[in-house]
Amino acid sequence: MTDPTPPAVEVRNLSKHYGDFVALRDVNVTIAAGEYFVLLGPSGGGKTTLLRTIGGFHKPTKGEILLNGKSVGHLPPDKRPTTMVFQAYALFPHMTVTQNVGYGLKVAGLPKAKIAEKVDYALEQVGLSQFTHRKPHELSGGQQQRVQLARAIVLDRDILLLDEPLAALDAQLRKDMCLELKHLQEKVGITFIHVTHNQEEAMTVADRIALIASGDLVECGNARDIYRAPQKAFTASFVGENNLLRGKVTEANGSSVIVDVAGSKLTVDKRGLAVTDGQEVKLSIRSECVTLDRLNGSDAAADGMSIMGAFDESVYLGLTTSHLVHLPDGTEMVSRVIADSDDSLPDAGASVRLSWKPSDIRLHVN
Amino acid sequence: MNDYDNIWLHKLKWSYLLLVVLTLMTPVIYVMYISFNANGFGANEYAFTMEWYGLIFSDALLIGALRWTLMLALVVTVIAVPMALLAAKYYKAADNKLFPVFLLLAPLFVPPDILGSALLVFFKNLNFAFIWLGDQVGISLFDSWFRLSFLTATIGLIIYTIPYSFVVILITMGRYRPEQTEAARACGANGWRAFWDIEFPQIQAGVFSACAFTIILVFNEYTRTSLLKGGFDTFTTVLISQMLNTGMSGQSYAMSALVSFIAIAIIGSIIILTMLRTESLSRIARAKADPVTS
Repeated sequence: MTDPTPPAVEVRNLSKHYGDFVALRDVNVTIAAGEYFVLLGPSGGGKTTLLRTIGGFHKPTKGEILLNGKSVGHLPPDKRPTTMVFQAYALFPHMTVTQNVGYGLKVAGLPKAKIAEKVDYALEQVGLSQFTHRKPHELSGGQQQRVQLARAIVLDRDILLLDEPLAALDAQLRKDMCLELKHLQEKVGITFIHVTHNQEEAMTVADRIALIASGDLVECGNARDIYRAPQKAFTASFVGENNLLRGKVTEANGSSVIVDVAGSKLTVDKRGLAVTDGQEVKLSIRSECVTLDRLNGSDAAADGMSIMGAFDESVYLGLTTSHLVHLPDGTEMVSRVIADSDDSLPDAGASVRLSWKPSDIRLHVN
Repeated sequence: MNDYDNIWLHKLKWSYLLLVVLTLMTPVIYVMYISFNANGFGANEYAFTMEWYGLIFSDALLIGALRWTLMLALVVTVIAVPMALLAAKYYKAADNKLFPVFLLLAPLFVPPDILGSALLVFFKNLNFAFIWLGDQVGISLFDSWFRLSFLTATIGLIIYTIPYSFVVILITMGRYRPEQTEAARACGANGWRAFWDIEFPQIQAGVFSACAFTIILVFNEYTRTSLLKGGFDTFTTVLISQMLNTGMSGQSYAMSALVSFIAIAIIGSIIILTMLRTESLSRIARAKADPVTS
């Protein structure tokens, strides 16, 4: 038996071109109703273009967008079941907080009493009940973004689009607002689609994350999988602090492969990927999964789960310390540990061994 | 002035500013001064009077010219300012801004007598073409469409004033953030509603300034108007005609001074009101800016 509820958003083979520039290329994604979905990626990757195309601010060059099962390609933004929170500057400066929040309801022609009731409730939801008569310039950045949120949720639309809503806020406020957004979404229960280039922000709020770069949807999955088990080398390089190693397959029989990286033979799970002997591949290991040991002359790495290198330096980052090591071929690797002491560090240039558990290293063929 | 500025240099800057303002305003002030002299322009003796102001309304030529000028100013403003507003909106949205701005500002760089003469020749030829067309069809309906008239003067003045209106509106539009229009659309407003509710209140100062500027330009304009106006006179054409032929009458000075008084009063009021409003808004903002939690 199939689920009768259509997905909130269905993007089919979507492409967007600006002349010769391809902003989006054959993007396919489905977002369920009530999901908190994050579009994550580097600046200029196409995530905002995708969001704005869903919202009706851009027309697709090719492909189709379905909202709640209905094709909306021909509809302008005001006719779609979406509303949007912008990065900044999107409050109406000549209106008070109440007028800003009630604007959409006024456009919809609701009676004044109903508007007042709904506006009060929306402002209560975002904790701004005491600022109703202020103008936007009399509010802090965080308060302004909350007014935008109230203005969006008051409309009772099915889908809320958030275009880097926290980018203009300072670090602490961004963290606080992240949780508030997540809780708000759980409270109102509608679909949130949130664009950000900040992976911590994405991890905090997302049910699922889609990674977008260079116009392509690189990978899509839940936050934990994207972080712990990236399918693509790009995901590994963008999310978390991963060591990316280049190597050549020397043996590709069975469920694992042997890869030669800087003269060391490393054993990696094949993950069902099609690899052949001699093929150039990439390996990724998160820096916090790498352990650094001093090398005592005889215990050379030959177990397939470690590699030798020369210690460069340690960087104290507060909670963690990153140990930087370079491999014989010049590749830099990082081992990140929760440690506050630096009194037992190897000397610069000393030989060290970097090791990891078999499940921590991942093979990427493309 | 900051603590390190030279006090004499500071005073010199203010003196220079005052000199510039005096240079600009002296001719106007002089016309006002003469308008109150019972003995008129060039007389040895100055005798204060309000008589010329009383006589303005009995001068049929001046009143007729003023009426035509006001009508011309009104029609040109009603047509030129919305056109300039649309052009400014298009310009802001355009990817390639160089070409449209060149096209829109080009009339500013054509000398007025050349543009006026070109339009005169154009309208004359157009008139001949329409008469010929009417003759071919056997009707006289088209005969007077492009004869020199209020219509041709209006077209000439629209061409003249649009670039100025465009620039004035564009300056205020520069501060407007297009995200606000998108936010209004996301709230359910259609394009017109988003413009009227959100954008217009924020650019209205520019639009009204463009209206005031257009009216002043139409009042000032002589060359194009005199070439294209046909059978009626405007305020400026009457004044210049008087100056060239018989010399300006006392009531002409009074009328010129009155128009200047009104223009200065309107512009001055706008500036004072804007300053008072800004001060009042910042006072409210300061009062509300008590520590708030984010």
